[in-house]
Amino acid sequence: MDRLIEILEDIQPDADYETCTTLIDDHILGSLQIISLVAEIEDEFDITIPTVEIKPENFNSAQSLMAMIERLEDEG
Amino acid sequence: MKITSYISVAYLAIFLPASILLYTIVPKKARPFVLLTASFVFFWFISEFLIVYLLISILSIYLLALCLDKLKKQRSAALAAAASKEEKKAIKSKNGSKQLAVVIVGVLINIGILAVLKYSPFLFTNINLFFRLTHSKLAVEVPNFLAPIGISFYSLQAVSYIHDVYKEKIQADKNIARVALFMSFFPILMEGPICRYSDTAEALYSGERLHYRNLTFGAQRLAFGAFKKIVIADRLNIIVTTIFKDYEAYDFDGGLILLGAILYTIELYMEFSGTIDVVIGSGEMFGVTIPENFRQPFFSKSITEFWQRWHITLGTWFRDYIFYPVTMSKPMKKLTKNARKKLGRDYGPMPASIIAFFCVWLCNGLWHGAGWEYIFFGMYHFVLISLGSLILPLSNTVLGKLKIDRNKWPYKVFCIVRTALLVCIGEMIFNSRGIKDSLRMLRIMFTQFSFKSLFDGSILSIGLDAYDIIILFVAIAIVFVVGIIKEKGKSPRQLIAAKPIFVRWPIYIGLVVFVVVFGAYGAGYLPIDPIYASF
Repeated sequence: MDRLIEILEDIQPDADYETCTTLIDDHILGSLQIISLVAEIEDEFDITIPTVEIKPENFNSAQSLMAMIERLEDEG
Repeated sequence: MKITSYISVAYLAIFLPASILLYTIVPKKARPFVLLTASFVFFWFISEFLIVYLLISILSIYLLALCLDKLKKQRSAALAAAASKEEKKAIKSKNGSKQLAVVIVGVLINIGILAVLKYSPFLFTNINLFFRLTHSKLAVEVPNFLAPIGISFYSLQAVSYIHDVYKEKIQADKNIARVALFMSFFPILMEGPICRYSDTAEALYSGERLHYRNLTFGAQRLAFGAFKKIVIADRLNIIVTTIFKDYEAYDFDGGLILLGAILYTIELYMEFSGTIDVVIGSGEMFGVTIPENFRQPFFSKSITEFWQRWHITLGTWFRDYIFYPVTMSKPMKKLTKNARKKLGRDYGPMPASIIAFFCVWLCNGLWHGAGWEYIFFGMYHFVLISLGSLILPLSNTVLGKLKIDRNKWPYKVFCIVRTALLVCIGEMIFNSRGIKDSLRMLRIMFTQFSFKSLFDGSILSIGLDAYDIIILFVAIAIVFVVGIIKEKGKSPRQLIAAKPIFVRWPIYIGLVVFVVVFGAYGAGYLPIDPIYASF
């Protein structure tokens, strides 16, 4: 989780990623940030994020992002 | 019967009430078939035998989705039986290629029909132009196909269905009637919105009984849509047509051309969003929630935000089926990773996103029409959005140094006005008679700008008198107030519904009376054809 928060803070510093659950709904992460985020997460966690996973439910909070990462890691 | 618009007596007074009546009197199981029959009959009224193209689309996506379903089951069974990791990888790869081939066939059939019917005349005309420019004696015959109304809308729905089954967002539907109803529900046929299967299919097929609240709320939305179209758009059409057609004959200055651009944008909004109100209201009457297509677009603070509020379902379609697939493709991800190392946090995602923006806006321009002016319209937005993204980090720094707060109202108002003006210029390009015409209008706007003709009475000489102008002001003010209420997150219809009956009903009746009394119909007015139905 700490690694993910670091990535998020590097991409968009102005947010409290521990508590925020509206990263997409409140436009804190726009499409450009999502592009960077996907590239960084894939690199860091050695997974592939398919486009079908790019939806608000997965990107609205650090927790939901982490859950998606863990799921994709399990699926291999 | 010929239906040319949803905001017509034929639709509002005959077709819709007849469909509601039939829906009510048949048993629950038969209701989806009433809707389906009504939809096919409606399509026949608007495009006659061209219904065959719609049937091909329905049949193709239905069968191909079942084919995808079969392949997915085969893959699961084969993976369960596979022993080694290599074997599993080989199964995934082989099965994945077959699935991809099915999707490509689906896209080729549906986008192929659209491309041939809509774009081949444009393509062949340009090939002939190329031959002439190169002094070649070659020439190809330019085909002239009839395209069904609404093909640009339902073709995108077809692609989204097949793609979503492929990506396992939804399951392939074994019921062809439900797929057919999702594709052809009569309120969405002419001007969208572009629905996803997961948005509407279940509700459309459920055959739920009608509810009083749905009927009354739907009827209110219908009335408000008619108000926007008949009172405002049809009235503005007179002055807009004159400015765009005869601006040279009248020797208009840049001020009047800018006014024409602004009024055309308002006309387009009132016509399109008014029609969408009728569409959504019609769906609401049957208990079907059709996705919203507008969210107060003129409160946008940037062009990007504008396209998140205007024709929303088209924007999200391009986002989901072009923007993300392009930016998330392997080469683009690699580009983003490398660019982030070299260009840093802010500019790293730019190269991939600018390539994706280009694809999106080229398609967006072409979707609106087969003509260079539409490509120019798309490229205009591509440049504005790309520039906006490129200068955002710089403008943040400058605003910080000047101590200007982005969240304070003066800066917000500045951004809203700037965005609205840029949008109006874009719509002027869109409504011009060609690329040369749009460039000529732009040149006059910027080189001969003057407020003179706005105040010397010229406006009153081009179709509208003081009476029309007062009605326009009042009507636009009403739409503006409704927009502010919605922007604050409240529902005007629920606010009115909560009022006592002696307040509520005068408002409802007043709205209908306003449309009947002040509607721009009859002698001297020329109602506009549904602009988006021709796309």
